Amino acid sequence: MEQRLANTWQMTVNERKFIEMALAADLRVDDRGPFDYRPCTITFGRHKLKYLQFSFTNRVGGSSEVQLGETHVMSYVTSQLVQPYRDRPNEGTLSIFTEFSPMADPAFEAGRPGEFAIELGRIVDRGLRESGAVDMESLCVVVGKLVWSIRVDLHILDNGGNLIDAANIAALASLLTFRRPECTLGGDDNHELIIHDIEDREPLPLIIHHLPVAVTFAVFGEGNIMVIDPSYKEEAVMGGRMTITMNSNGDICAVQKAGIGISSSVIIRCLEICAVKAAEITSKINHANLLDSQMESFNDGRSIQYPNFHPVDVAIQDNLPDVIMNKKQIENLTGHLAALPLDALDRNSNKSGAVVVGTNTRAKFENNQARDGVPFYSPSNWDPYPRKLCSCLARSSLKLSGLPEDVEEDKVNTTQSVKVECGLEHTKGASSSRALETASEYTTVEATSQYIKAPKTLKDAVKIQNRKMRK
Amino acid sequence: MNSMPSDSASMSFVDRVVVPGDHVLDLTGMANQTIKLGAGLRQDGDAISVMKAGKLRISKPNKYWVESSHKRYVPCVEDTVLGIVVDSKFDNFLVDIKAPMLGLLPVLAFEGGTRRNIPKFEIGTLLYVRVVKANNTMNPELSCMDETGKAAEFGPLKDGYMFETSTGLARMLLSSPPCPILEALGKSLSYEIAIGLNGRVWVNAASPSTVILVSNAIMNSEFLSAAQQKIMVEKLMKRLQ
Repeated sequence: MEQRLANTWQMTVNERKFIEMALAADLRVDDRGPFDYRPCTITFGRHKLKYLQFSFTNRVGGSSEVQLGETHVMSYVTSQLVQPYRDRPNEGTLSIFTEFSPMADPAFEAGRPGEFAIELGRIVDRGLRESGAVDMESLCVVVGKLVWSIRVDLHILDNGGNLIDAANIAALASLLTFRRPECTLGGDDNHELIIHDIEDREPLPLIIHHLPVAVTFAVFGEGNIMVIDPSYKEEAVMGGRMTITMNSNGDICAVQKAGIGISSSVIIRCLEICAVKAAEITSKINHANLLDSQMESFNDGRSIQYPNFHPVDVAIQDNLPDVIMNKKQIENLTGHLAALPLDALDRNSNKSGAVVVGTNTRAKFENNQARDGVPFYSPSNWDPYPRKLCSCLARSSLKLSGLPEDVEEDKVNTTQSVKVECGLEHTKGASSSRALETASEYTTVEATSQYIKAPKTLKDAVKIQNRKMRK
Repeated sequence: MNSMPSDSASMSFVDRVVVPGDHVLDLTGMANQTIKLGAGLRQDGDAISVMKAGKLRISKPNKYWVESSHKRYVPCVEDTVLGIVVDSKFDNFLVDIKAPMLGLLPVLAFEGGTRRNIPKFEIGTLLYVRVVKANNTMNPELSCMDETGKAAEFGPLKDGYMFETSTGLARMLLSSPPCPILEALGKSLSYEIAIGLNGRVWVNAASPSTVILVSNAIMNSEFLSAAQQKIMVEKLMKRLQ
């Protein structure tokens, strides 16, 4: 008990009285105006693929870090193909997850999310999903069968006050920079779904109609003193909190209020202030995104390696092989999905039993678009961060073994990549892989590639736990 | 960084940043001399080597020590610190002094303290106290009296505002001659300040804006040189007018 007392943060009576007195005189202890935000920095994460000996860098994006004064939040976006909900067969899904790390604040505990963690996730979720900010219908691939599911993970790294605003900005920035692989229907009878490899076709951004920005007001005194962007100490003293999610068009997307009562005239005034602030923050996010995408186009990855990035530090981006599924396979897939136990659908668990979906394989080496008809790996084995197998390698190995690709989700450094020359030739001119030699090379290559396991990371430990809990 | 053995070479390390493993003084050339070693230094045979990263300091004629700045405080005897009351027990107040363990302030450790007039401190009271006993196995013991038993400014601090800094900044503020920032602020403003060696600073003044100005000026002055501190204060004063 004494140790816990020693480790929690204490606030003195002097500070509490002083902050309230200063606010009554319209002064804030960090010398800000009552409606001033702290300086905000938005950084985007670059996800690159180190591709065997070649330095392909393909940016599929998806992460951002926001520093708002002392508050530090990171957001990460990933996507997966799933079956849509039955009542919305033509819409993708968006889900928000929050992780409150104990390193952010001694009050946060590892494990189950606390009340505030759930509230924060809900506020961000409401602003994004229910206002229709992210276009869901464009995420549909095959109506009723396959849609993209977007998952946003918010990690709180440092709590300096006003986590809601920072987390919201981080979520928006990462959604803006996220890219998903392009899928088309093609093949003979236009019933085959091709998920294009990242190197072959530029991955697509999400369609985002507007940016719902959250602005948090802290309430003091009798409900008449409001300040924007409370700091940690102000949050400890405040009587209530109101978060308004608004976009730059002036549309109110969501309002969340907690604590002491506020009169309606004060609320109207806050809405007016919020409109101004939301416009400012929106322009800031857009500006940062623009700069970032300009950087990307400068360093377009075919032959340039980012000079500042050492390969070992690079997170591996997903490398979806091009896959063709004919109609029957799609049906098999969805049938299997329905029959799978719950935990197998967990995107992160890739150790559940390999589900072979459809055994029809068709080998085709025709024109550019044709690929081996390989059985598509089931979602339980789908991994956004496979080891660095090149797509052709993956295809060939899948074709020969008939098994779904057994890849592990990890952020492996490139020194552990397959040290085999990719001896395959694409009929497409775009990629620069080398010439195909014999089929025997396939087998040797496939044998080595399939059994190299990347070292276990923290994520593996967490995954196993998830499955145990569900069981 | 191996030092060439000579007395003049050790002077070149003084007031410079040293890291563990550095040999800063060679004793072969100094027979019949006494050298006093403070924190962070150790005798390694014939040389004095550094154990803690920081700046090497000397106090003439023969005292050496390494000074470093941290966000947490390691209690030392006779330090004056600012503590926050966390709990009160039958014979002790539990006081948080930013140390690994809570400090214990006996209820009788006040001037003229008896069982009948035990002060009542609510949780969150800010106290200016002195460390009486400190070692790394026990909770540090505190007192609101000086050695002679007088109150001497110790005790609860009323009103004002408290903020936390690193221990290095607190030491700089307590240095004599007075720190340039405090002098420059004192020329145009009147304020009251209490500095704890554990990195807590309490400021009080007539108006809240003065308190806010002083506290922000001090927080920003940690890595500024004396001249820069004076310039910053001048700019702040101009802004006020």
